[in-house]
Amino acid sequence: MTKIFFATDIHGSEKCWKKFINAGMFYGASTLVLGGDMTGKAIVPIIKEKAGLHRAYFLEQEHELKTGQDLEHLTQAVRDRGYYPVHLDIEEMGALEKDKSKQEELFKKETLETVGNWIEWAEERLKKTRIPCYVCPGNDDTFEIDELINQSEYIELVEGKVVQLPLDYQMISTGWSNPTPWNTYRECSEEELESKIRESIDKLDQVKPAVFSIHPPPYGLGLDEAPELDENLRPKYAGRALIPVGSTAVRKLIEEYQPRLALFGHIHEAKGMIRCKNTLCINPGSNYEQGVLMGALINLEKDRVGEYQLTTG
Amino acid sequence: MAGKNGLEGKDSGLFVREATGLVREWSIFDAFVYAFFSVNLITLGLYIFSFAPYIPDGHLVTAIIVSTIFIVFLVIVYAMLISILPRAGGDYVLQTRILGGALSYVLPFTGWVFILWLWVPLYGNMLSWNVFTPLFTLLAGMTGNQGLLGVAFWFNGVHGLFVSALLVCVLASIVISLGMKGYARVQKFCFYLGMAGLLTVFILLLANDNATFVERFNAFSAGIGAGGNVYTDIIASSSEAGYDPIAWNNLALLASLPLIPMVVFFNLWPNWGATLYGEVRGASEFRRNFLGMFLGLVVTAVLAVILLALIARTIGWDFYLASNFAFYEGFSGFPVFPFPGLLAAMLTDNPILQLWVIVSLSGWFFGWMGTVFLSSTRVLFAASFDRMLPEWVSNLNPKTRSPYNALMLMTIPAIAVSFLFYYVPGFDVLTLNATVVIAICFLGTAVAAIVLPYRKPDLYNASPVARYKVLGLPAITICGIILAGFLLFNIVLWFMDPVYGVHDPYSAVFMLVLYSLAFVIYFTYLSRNKKLGIDVKKTFDEIPVE
Repeated sequence: MTKIFFATDIHGSEKCWKKFINAGMFYGASTLVLGGDMTGKAIVPIIKEKAGLHRAYFLEQEHELKTGQDLEHLTQAVRDRGYYPVHLDIEEMGALEKDKSKQEELFKKETLETVGNWIEWAEERLKKTRIPCYVCPGNDDTFEIDELINQSEYIELVEGKVVQLPLDYQMISTGWSNPTPWNTYRECSEEELESKIRESIDKLDQVKPAVFSIHPPPYGLGLDEAPELDENLRPKYAGRALIPVGSTAVRKLIEEYQPRLALFGHIHEAKGMIRCKNTLCINPGSNYEQGVLMGALINLEKDRVGEYQLTTG
Repeated sequence: MAGKNGLEGKDSGLFVREATGLVREWSIFDAFVYAFFSVNLITLGLYIFSFAPYIPDGHLVTAIIVSTIFIVFLVIVYAMLISILPRAGGDYVLQTRILGGALSYVLPFTGWVFILWLWVPLYGNMLSWNVFTPLFTLLAGMTGNQGLLGVAFWFNGVHGLFVSALLVCVLASIVISLGMKGYARVQKFCFYLGMAGLLTVFILLLANDNATFVERFNAFSAGIGAGGNVYTDIIASSSEAGYDPIAWNNLALLASLPLIPMVVFFNLWPNWGATLYGEVRGASEFRRNFLGMFLGLVVTAVLAVILLALIARTIGWDFYLASNFAFYEGFSGFPVFPFPGLLAAMLTDNPILQLWVIVSLSGWFFGWMGTVFLSSTRVLFAASFDRMLPEWVSNLNPKTRSPYNALMLMTIPAIAVSFLFYYVPGFDVLTLNATVVIAICFLGTAVAAIVLPYRKPDLYNASPVARYKVLGLPAITICGIILAGFLLFNIVLWFMDPVYGVHDPYSAVFMLVLYSLAFVIYFTYLSRNKKLGIDVKKTFDEIPVE
């Protein structure tokens, strides 16, 4: 038996990243798999007003930071929540507010710096634990992230690859998703998505058991229920009208190929598991803003997928 | 692509990029509608108000106002907890994640799953007494058709009530199988329909006086076979039976406190659907959650007081209380439940307007009844995902996405409990057990809120509500203590005073069975998981960061 730990959608939360790297030792897992979307969604400007006084607006509250300790605490709180703290003076802030391209540049810079730091932090630990760690960026991640991960000695970028897991299991992965209303980096049509996943499936040894790690969940199996939105991206009926938003291509391929295990993410609120024909499908969900690492711990056995549990670390 | 405040439309102080899941804020009005229907004035309210004569010295208006004030603390506690642990999915997740241990499983499981079995016959009563009985009584009154009157009487009897409970199971299962998308639309339509109906009732009550009502009521009663001055007879016979209604203008603060454990049957639930969330937000998320629930609670309380005042003015306060007393004691000259909607409809001669009153008020039932199993199925799913129930509990039909096994777990026992409720004499006194068990579950969540800042300081301090303090203490702790005190006040009265039906041998056995069953399931799955090598404690333990 071998135990794998899967988590996804940590969206810039430093706390969740560190928990993910430590999860191997904590849960006794022999393999770590991250399902995508490492990138944060917001920048929090920390503005230096004068010597010894910084001001920041975080969680819709104004924070007056008078000591180095205050500054350090807030910076870490911002990072743990998945946002990027950026230190600016008043003039820089003014310039940034006016210039969208500067904002984009800043996002890219912060994203890459953060992922770079994360990899450095993780390598120190993984060097000691020797637990294999597989990462596949998701639809919200810029492509430059792939290059950073590729440079790592201990973290393997697995987009489009077939990875050999213990007990002869083999895993394919993709972070591409069906279209979303946000027009993110790795989106494509259902047809293109099917073709991308098929390319990976074609590389599988048909005799060996398979694990699919695919960012978007299959359509209509309950792992893809998200609030219905109006044309202004406002949740209808206060978010209670849930609709399936998963990928029809993913559903088709799961039903057709029937891997033993399929791991998904993307829809944070659709935590759950379900059997689809011979496949155990899991979406562990995400609570990255609270610094809570949602995950799935799965025992792979030679002839079957054994016991599993959804964790709230 | 990136832009400051791009999605909030106001100063959030962030630069936000376009990313999956970033949505605009949901409408407070929509959240209000859900909370407003959860503390449902016409179904739950008028049902439990009809039992007020059993606390003869208490005044409903006082009990409503005082209980509303305390339930605001429940609203604050839940709004804060949602803000700290969004997407938590209610008491089960909140308690297991914050408190842990057997009780954190047993209390929500009993409060959100098992006791909902008992809510089904209560929903059945309300369907029968708020919709079917008044509708057929009205049609019989209009047409003089004895067959229609027979149908009304049938729905008023045990077979009709049992069939109504079965209909509730069917309708609730359909709603859950079809999904909340469709039901949310039905609910909004029902909100407008029900409000139009209530407004019609207000106008009818305002436009007529008591003398007119007495005349119309007696004439209507004669039309359905109850001759004489039924109005006066009901008051007189109640008085002879020893019931002396409290005067409308005697608000009797202290004497009304024992009425609160009854009234909370109707207004303890503004948090029923409290699972809203948003990403990249902060304090506004707490405020919006709070406002949705708070407005639902307070607007309902205001409408309740207005409705009761209009009933007192036009129908007559003594008659309203006495007619309910006489109905339950079985000596009423009026042969069906004195539903105020039916009484108001008598104030007009226009048959279309009469039917409109009953049909439009039915919106309050149909917009609300679908939720009877909704929270239960969510708790069953959450427990199944935690491996504390079998995996098959969370199965969905791959075509319809219906959670058929979870629904079976709710409907089959609910039908059995409904059978007991209607056909086993004495079982029907358990009405308030439906409230007690959920209140005990809420008590568990109140304790979780009290200890959260100390038990999970990282989680609490990283939340937008950490800044709210009272006398230097976390506001969530203070509000949790007030809520726990209020719930304990009710729980003590329920268990001490036989008038509530909880201090009763049937009640004791029923609750013992429910809690024992929950403990048995908990320990069975704990032991099963241990044998399989699943450490359930690890499910909720926090992974170290360094």
